Amino acid sequence: MHFVVCAKQIPDPETPPAAFRIDEQSNEVVPAQGIAPVLSQFDGMAAEAALRVKETAGDDTKITVISMGKESAQAAIKQVLAMGADEGLLLEDDAFEGGDSYTTATVLSAAIEKLGDVDAVFCGRQAADWDMGQVGLGISELMNWPGSIIASDVQVADGKMSVKRVLADGFETVEVPMPAVVTVSNELGEPRYPKLQQIMQAARKTVNTMTAADLGLDASSVGAAGARLKLERLFIPEVGGDCDMIEGESPEEQAQALVAALREAKVL
Amino acid sequence: MAALVDGAPEPQESSPIPGQGKPARVRFVGAWWAPALALSGVGLVGAAEAQRSNAGREIFFNIEQGWAVYALMAALVGLLAYGIVRHATLWMIGKPTPGLLGEVPLRFRNALRLGIGQEKVRRDPYAGIMHTCIFFSIVVLTIVTAQVAIDDDLGLHFLQGDYYLFFSFYGDLFGLIGLVGVGMALYRRYFDDLHRIRWDERVEDHLIIGGLGLLLLSGFLVEAFRINVTELEQHPEWAKWSFVAWGLAEALNVIDLTEGQTLTGHVWMWWGHIVLAFAWLGLIVFTRLDHIFFAPVNAFLLRTDSPGRLATIENIEEQEVFGVGQIQDFTWKQLFELDACVRCGRCSEVCPANVAGQPLSPMHLIQDLKAHLASVGPDIQRAGHEEGDVRAVSPLAMTGEVIGDETLWACRTCGACMQECPVMIEHVPTIVDMRRYLVMDEARIPASAQQALENIEMRGHPWRGTTLERTTWMEGLGDVPLFDGSQEYLYWVGCSGSLVERNLPVTQSVFRLLREAGASFGVLGQEETCNGDPARRMGNEYLFQILAQQLVETFKAKQVQRVITNCPHCFNTFKNEYPQFDGHFEVLHHTEFLVQALDEGKLTPRFALDESMTYHDSCYLGRMNGQYEAPRQIIEVIDGAEFTEMKRTRSKGLCCGAGGGNMWQEEVGERRVNHVRTEEAVGTGADQVVSNCPFCIQMFEDGIPSIQPEEEGRIAAFDIAELLERAVLGPDGAGSDGARPAGAGAEAGTGASSTGQ
Ligand code: SF4
Ligand code: SF4
Repeated sequence: MHFVVCAKQIPDPETPPAAFRIDEQSNEVVPAQGIAPVLSQFDGMAAEAALRVKETAGDDTKITVISMGKESAQAAIKQVLAMGADEGLLLEDDAFEGGDSYTTATVLSAAIEKLGDVDAVFCGRQAADWDMGQVGLGISELMNWPGSIIASDVQVADGKMSVKRVLADGFETVEVPMPAVVTVSNELGEPRYPKLQQIMQAARKTVNTMTAADLGLDASSVGAAGARLKLERLFIPEVGGDCDMIEGESPEEQAQALVAALREAKVL
Repeated sequence: MAALVDGAPEPQESSPIPGQGKPARVRFVGAWWAPALALSGVGLVGAAEAQRSNAGREIFFNIEQGWAVYALMAALVGLLAYGIVRHATLWMIGKPTPGLLGEVPLRFRNALRLGIGQEKVRRDPYAGIMHTCIFFSIVVLTIVTAQVAIDDDLGLHFLQGDYYLFFSFYGDLFGLIGLVGVGMALYRRYFDDLHRIRWDERVEDHLIIGGLGLLLLSGFLVEAFRINVTELEQHPEWAKWSFVAWGLAEALNVIDLTEGQTLTGHVWMWWGHIVLAFAWLGLIVFTRLDHIFFAPVNAFLLRTDSPGRLATIENIEEQEVFGVGQIQDFTWKQLFELDACVRCGRCSEVCPANVAGQPLSPMHLIQDLKAHLASVGPDIQRAGHEEGDVRAVSPLAMTGEVIGDETLWACRTCGACMQECPVMIEHVPTIVDMRRYLVMDEARIPASAQQALENIEMRGHPWRGTTLERTTWMEGLGDVPLFDGSQEYLYWVGCSGSLVERNLPVTQSVFRLLREAGASFGVLGQEETCNGDPARRMGNEYLFQILAQQLVETFKAKQVQRVITNCPHCFNTFKNEYPQFDGHFEVLHHTEFLVQALDEGKLTPRFALDESMTYHDSCYLGRMNGQYEAPRQIIEVIDGAEFTEMKRTRSKGLCCGAGGGNMWQEEVGERRVNHVRTEEAVGTGADQVVSNCPFCIQMFEDGIPSIQPEEEGRIAAFDIAELLERAVLGPDGAGSDGARPAGAGAEAGTGASSTGQ
C-alpha cells in the first residue's frame, strides 16, 4: 500500500502572546523573531495514524509525506520522516503563495495524482494556524475519494478503511472503500518520539521538490490567483474588560444591586 | 583539580569571606595504618629486647601436622585466584572504560582514604564504629598471625621477652575490639527490625557475621587452653598480658579438667579455629565479603572528575546502539562495580524516590543488574568468544525488563546514592546510560517527559505552554545591558529564570544585586536557549550534544569568559560538561558571586530581616559541586535572620524531587518527593525555606499547600538572592531603584529596552 501524509509547517502556536504580531497593511502574520515554525500538531497525529496502520499492515507499505510550503518546510517533512515515513516531497513554487484551502487542496491533489498509486491520504483535522479544516475534505472532493474527518482511530483491512470518528456526543465508526482520505484528530494520541537511528536516517534522506509546472498546474489556478477566499482584514481584536464593584451593606443588598445592574446592562 | 573526597569536589578552598573560612577539618586520612606501624616498630624494638628478657612461647605448641595449615593456605590462594578469574571473565564482556589512566596519584589517594580508609563507611557513625572495630581487628590479628608464622618459619624468634608480652596484650585487645564490632553487627542484624541492611538479607549474611564471631571466640579459647596448661602454671605473670585468654584460662580451672583433657581440648579448638578461619576467608569468593578487595579497587577506579559530569557518547552518529540496552553495553568498570555492592542499603535509604515509595531502589537496581550479569554473562562471554550473536543471548531485555522503565525514570540524578555508597558505586551514570537507550534507541518515554524534550527541540526550552518571553523579566528594570563581549560577566538567566512566572522575581533580584554590586555584566536575552541539561539527564544525549555545541560556539563568538548562572543545573552543565565540547569558561552560581561581593564590600546588608529560615541544598550546587558554604555565609551576614538546619542537610540533603527531568514528569508511587521534602522543611518550624535553584523553589511552592492546607502560617519558599536583596535594598527595593538612578551600577552595554525585543 502507499499512504500519503499531508504535513504543514505553521508559525509556532505557542508563540508567547507578546511576540505575536500582525502587519495590518499586508494582512499578514509577522514571523516572530527567534521562534522557529513547527509542524502543525494535528499533522503529526495524521503521521502517527498512518504509521500505526503501516505497523499492522507490514513493511511493504510506503508512506510519502507531502508538504506545500517554502524551503523551510523541509524541517516539517524531516520530522515526519524521522517518525518513520519513507519519502518526502516538497511542493514549492512562488505561484503557490497567498492561496486558500481550495488552492492548497488543488496542489496537494495534483501531487497525489502524480504519485499515482496512492491508497490513502492522512491529513490533520485542521492546520493549527488558521484552523480551517478544509484541505482534507477538499482533497477528497477533488480526487473524488471518500473522505472521513476527525478520526480518533484508523484501521485498514481488505481494501477498506475503518474510521472511528469523534462526534460532539460520542464516536461513530464508518467504513469506506479505499482509496480514501481521512483527517485525524488529537484523540488518536501523541505522535511518537523518533528513534535516534531514524532521525539520522531522515537527515540523510533527500526530499524531492516539485513546482506548479512539474505538477502540470497552471499558475492561475493556484496561489493568490486561484484563491476563492479573499482575506479582507487581519487584526488582533481588542479584548477589554471593566470591573465594577457592587456596593452594599449586606449580601442581600449586594445581590439586589447586582440584579439591578445586570438588568440595566440588559443581561437579565 | 579538587580531590574527590565525598564523591564531590572539595568545597572551594578559598573562603570568600575572610575570617569565616571553614576551619581546616583535620582528617585522619587512612589512619588505620598508624597502629599497625606502631606495633611493628614496637616489634623491632621488642626483638632487640628479647635478648634480655626470656618471655616467649613455643609456636605450634601441642600441634602436630602443623604443615596442614600451609596446605589450607595454598587451597585458599587457589580459591581466591579462581574467584578473581571467574569474575573477571564476566567483567570483560563490558566495553572499554575510558580515562582510567589519568590522575593516577589521585586514584591511589582515593584507594587509600576511601577504600582502605573507609571514609564513607563512617558517614553512618554506628556502622563506622562497628566496621572500624572489625576492620582493625582483622588487620591486627592478621599481623599477629603473620608474626607467628614469620617467627617460626624464618627462624627469627622475635616473639620473646617484653615484646612477646606486649604482643600477647595487643593480640587480645584487638580480638576483643573485633568482638565489640561483631556484637554491634549482631545487634543491627537481629534486634533492629527495620534496619536497611535487612532490606535484601541472604543466608551468607548470617554466615559472615556468625562465622567471624565464632572465629574470634575460638581464637580466645585456643589461647585459653594453651595458657591453662602452660603459662598459668609456669609464668602466671606472663599469662596476665593475654588478658582475655587469661581470664578464660582461669575459668577453665573451675571446670577442673585433667591436663590430658585440656591438651586434647586445645588440639580440637586449635583445628576448629584454623578450619573456621580458612572457611571464613573462603567466603570472600562466594559472598559480599569480596568487598575486602573490590572496595579499594573501586575507589581507585572512581571517577576523578566531578560527579556532576556525565560521559559523552563519542561519535554518536556512528554508534550501533545508543546507551545501554544489554549488560555488555556497560563498560567493564560499571560491571565491576556491580560485584562490589555489599547490599548495605545506604543508597536506598537516602534515595528520594525510594523514600517517597516510588519504584526505584538503587541497591536493588544494582543487585538486579549483578544477578543478571551472573545469569547471562557466561553465555554472552561464550557467544562473544565464538563470534556468535551476542545480542541474541539474553532472553530478557535488560533495559525495560530486568530494570523497568518506571524505575529508570524515577531517578532524580541527585547523586545521594553515590555520595553514601561505601564502595564508591556510581549509580547515576549507570541509570542515565539505560535511559539513553530508552530514549534514543527505543524512543520509549513517559508522555510528559517526551513533551519537555520535544519542546526543547522545537522551542529551545522545556517549558511547554509558557506565555512568557525571555525578555519578560526585564520589564521595569530600566536598562538591561546585553552582553557584547566588553563586559566581565555573562549573566545567564536560564529557561526557568525567564519563562516560569515564579522564577522571574529571582532573576530580577539577582539582576538588581549585580547592578548594586557594580558588576560589569550583560545578558543574552532572546539569544538564550536551553543549554541541554534536561535533555542529557533525560537520556537524549544527541540533543544535548547539538545544544551544547551550538552554545559553546555562541559563547566563543561573543567572547564569553565568565558566566554567572541563576540555576545550579546551568552552572553544573557549563562548569563540568561544556569542557567536553571545548567550552572552557569560568562559571559561578549566583550564590558564589554574591558571597564574593559581600566579602569585597560591594554589597552591604543594611536592612535587618527578623525572619526564621531553613536552607535546602540543591543537589547540583551541593553534592554535585561541593558548594555548601556560600549560601550559608549569605544567611549568616543577614541581620536578624534566625537559621535552623533541616535534619537532612548539606551532602545528606534530600532532593526536592525535580532533578533528572522529573520536573516534567508525572510521579508514580506512594508519595511525591516534594511533599516529603516540604514536610522536612516545615518540620523545622521556620517561616521560610531558602534555596538556590528555580526547580527547588517551584517544587516547594507546589508542595506547601498539600503539607500545610491552612493558608495561615504557611512556610514560604525563596531564593537566597531574593532574601539578600531584601537585606541589601530593603523590602521594596528602595535601596536601588529609588535611591539610585536605575542602571547606575551597570557597565555600558547595548541597552535592551524594558519591553523586550
Ligand atoms: S541519583 Fe538520587 S534518585 Fe537517583 S538513584 Fe541515586 S539517590 Fe535515587
Ligand atoms: S550500591 Fe553501595 S550503598 Fe547501595 S547497597 Fe550497594 S554498596 Fe550499599
